[in-house]
Amino acid sequence: MRLVNAELFKLRTTSIWWIMGIILLPLYAASLGFNWLSSYALVSGQADGGASDAQAQVDAVSQPINIATNLYTTGQYMGVLIVLLLSAIIVTSEFFHLTATTTFLVTPRRETVILAKFGAAIIVALLVWAITTLLDLLLVPIIMDALNIGNQLGEPAVWRAIGLNALAFLLWAVLGVGLGVLIRSQLAATLILGIVYTIGTGVFAIIFQLLETYVAKWIQNLEVLVPTTASQLMLSGTELPGNPPRWVGALVLIGYAVIAGVVGTLITKRRDIS
Amino acid sequence: MTGPATDDIVVDHLTKQYKKLRAVDDLSFTVRSGRVTGFLGPNGAGKTTTLRMLLGLVTPTAGTATIGGRKYVELHDPIRHVGAVLEASSAHRGRTGRNHLRMICRAAGLPDSRSDEALELVGLTPAAKRKFKGYSLGMRQRLGIAAAMLGDPRVLVLDEPANGLDPEGIRWMRDLLKALAAEGRTVLVSSHLLGEMQLLADDVVILAAGKLIRQGPVEDVLGSMGAAQVRVRTPQAAELTDALGKINATVSPQPDGTMLVSGAEAAAIGHAAFAASVELHELTPERGDLEQVFLQLTAGMAGIR
Repeated sequence: MRLVNAELFKLRTTSIWWIMGIILLPLYAASLGFNWLSSYALVSGQADGGASDAQAQVDAVSQPINIATNLYTTGQYMGVLIVLLLSAIIVTSEFFHLTATTTFLVTPRRETVILAKFGAAIIVALLVWAITTLLDLLLVPIIMDALNIGNQLGEPAVWRAIGLNALAFLLWAVLGVGLGVLIRSQLAATLILGIVYTIGTGVFAIIFQLLETYVAKWIQNLEVLVPTTASQLMLSGTELPGNPPRWVGALVLIGYAVIAGVVGTLITKRRDIS
Repeated sequence: MTGPATDDIVVDHLTKQYKKLRAVDDLSFTVRSGRVTGFLGPNGAGKTTTLRMLLGLVTPTAGTATIGGRKYVELHDPIRHVGAVLEASSAHRGRTGRNHLRMICRAAGLPDSRSDEALELVGLTPAAKRKFKGYSLGMRQRLGIAAAMLGDPRVLVLDEPANGLDPEGIRWMRDLLKALAAEGRTVLVSSHLLGEMQLLADDVVILAAGKLIRQGPVEDVLGSMGAAQVRVRTPQAAELTDALGKINATVSPQPDGTMLVSGAEAAAIGHAAFAASVELHELTPERGDLEQVFLQLTAGMAGIR
């Protein structure tokens, strides 16, 4: 616990936390605006899926409860990105600023250092989750009211979505620390994680679309292996037609987080620090 | 004394093999408490690798390095036992000096007040709230020493601590390390600055190409290499050379007009000159020079491997 405290102190005593905070707020505002518009489109029936399978999805998404879960988890996309980057930087900055030597001199049992970093990253993740969720609970009922569908806060599905949102933040934080260990270069880690997270989902969607069309239909089921897709799946309010069940998404994310965490810890234990 | 004292550093058949390079090769030596030990060697001799293995940062291929009989990674709260200064530039650029020390205090379970005491010790109190990127190289070295002193350790390990220090800073560090050793602590310092080492160290461990070349008290190492010489200046060089030839001393003329005499003490040379009525302008015993001895000992073993 002493080490988690020290890790949080490290984060607090540099400018990274308020830089990330300043980035997060406008991104949150943009996400909220975007969700408002898309919810409006769904409610007013302007969204058109085209093909029958897609149309069924649109119909499902258009239900007030699904609009609600989407709105009450606003900030997840950008918040997770910030958490992912911060978690990776918690590790890579030690090597970037050559402080790894000092850190491991104070605590030569390196696995405890990495565990403390996981702990600190999770605390940061839950903090970002709490802030975005608080903003959502304040602002979303106003939007729901404007859309004339009630605030839906009585629905257990909404609270489940908020809880799962916390789980998503937490798992992405673990993933970020693990990947930070694997990609030790600060620049490479932030660029790779940032790009893969933002553009990766779209690129993978296209790749899977092509594979599905030209190779085999079953490959489509593997798309859930893309972490961002898994994350979205885990959060979807009710079972959507044509998608794997929600727990598969959770399982995939947990799997990635565990692998990244374990591999990252083992590598750190063995590596020479010079 | 029976067995090693509790604060001795013992390096035992330590070896580090990188892919093709044997950075440290079957190295054994002992560093005693209560003395300053200089750890000397040309660039790339394996000094830093040895210190990093001692501190558990690099895993040895073979052999062990222990402090008071225990490996560094086995020490409970190691910075209360061992203080280390490894790199001058090892702090986050955007963090203040004081916060750098507080971060270490928190991880080690030391009170925050230790950071202020350590800053005071190294004279950095006025710069406590300045960010690390605004520190000069000398200030960075001082911060490193402050970090090493946080846990009031019995053993100090310093890698090139004099780098970047001005003459006043070097003198300050020399006094500090000597005082710490006088309190019975173990002090191991690596350096290239041989003149400084001659002033600072009680013992030396000389390393080249990963192997131990010589270890022992400075005087012994100096004494073992060549006889002492005396520098002589005279306007009657030919007459003096004749006179010194009679007492079997060897004379080698120097480019600056002086001559270096070996095989005779200063008194004998003065007497021979007096007897031969030769005028002397200078008669200086040359103390053993660590630099010369070092260069002789490591000749042919320096350089890039």
